[in-house]
Amino acid sequence: MKILFTLLLALIAFTGTIQAQKTYATRNGKISFISTDDDDIQAVNNEVTSRLAAAGDISFSLLMKGFRFESQEMQDHFNNTYLESDKYPRADFKGSILNNREVNYAKNGFYPVTVKGVLTIHGVSQEMTTKGELTIKDGKPGVMAKFRITLEQFHITGGLLKAITKGVNITVDCHY
Amino acid sequence: MKRWVRILLIVMAVLLLGGGSYVYYIWNKPHRDVTQEKGIDISAQQLYDEFKANEAAANKKYLNKAVQLNGEVGDVSVNQDSSVVVNFKTNDPIFVINCTFKTSPGVLKAGDHIVFKGICTGYIPDNDVVINEGVLVK
Repeated sequence: MKILFTLLLALIAFTGTIQAQKTYATRNGKISFISTDDDDIQAVNNEVTSRLAAAGDISFSLLMKGFRFESQEMQDHFNNTYLESDKYPRADFKGSILNNREVNYAKNGFYPVTVKGVLTIHGVSQEMTTKGELTIKDGKPGVMAKFRITLEQFHITGGLLKAITKGVNITVDCHY
Repeated sequence: MKRWVRILLIVMAVLLLGGGSYVYYIWNKPHRDVTQEKGIDISAQQLYDEFKANEAAANKKYLNKAVQLNGEVGDVSVNQDSSVVVNFKTNDPIFVINCTFKTSPGVLKAGDHIVFKGICTGYIPDNDVVINEGVLVK
């Protein structure tokens, strides 16, 4: 009886560990941004790679040249003048979900989360924290978050005296 | 009206028209169309090998260029904006060439050998090379 109980306990602990080791991934997450000053300046990237571990670690990587603007001219300016994408082709975020204990990855639902980590754009790294929403549907997670950054934070000036926009509102929308 | 005033007005009108046309052209610059460009012929495996060996050299060769990729379809999916996405296999179990179609390629399935032409946007280490705005060549 004791052996059975111990075995059962071990099995529960083991499955718990397996759950904690599970990693979800996507290569086609969506991240978009829009200027806080000028609605015309907005773009979407549909080739975002993201990994989410049930243990709470979360990361995003994208290629700057993957941002598509309505205007080709604006897209070229964005890459050549502002983000210097040939020099800094990628933007990355690496962090963790602070309240991950509150998320039940096995149960459908909406979980408000706080994510903290390091965001690197244009070769500059900044620590940041943002609120977001983690959704579990049929065993699959999805994350959604909105936050704002300023161009100054990441030294994006385009060599101009006056910035084209002060900041941008970023929306993250990934389904794993 | 004095003659010189008339000439000045004509010159100004021409400049304005010219300037206006230029601005109009720039504002409405068409998006790149890979069907109008010659793509660099390469296999999925080769592209992976080159980026893995030397990202800087591979970027110089392929970043922002039209690439005509041949390879085996690993999986087919649809992204959030309803575009078809194909991941080409490489000999690495995780690494793929992630290819998004601009125009619908029709029905594709894992195992198909196809040729895809698109614009290379770069490399995410231990993960994928990304090509988008693509079309099915065959």
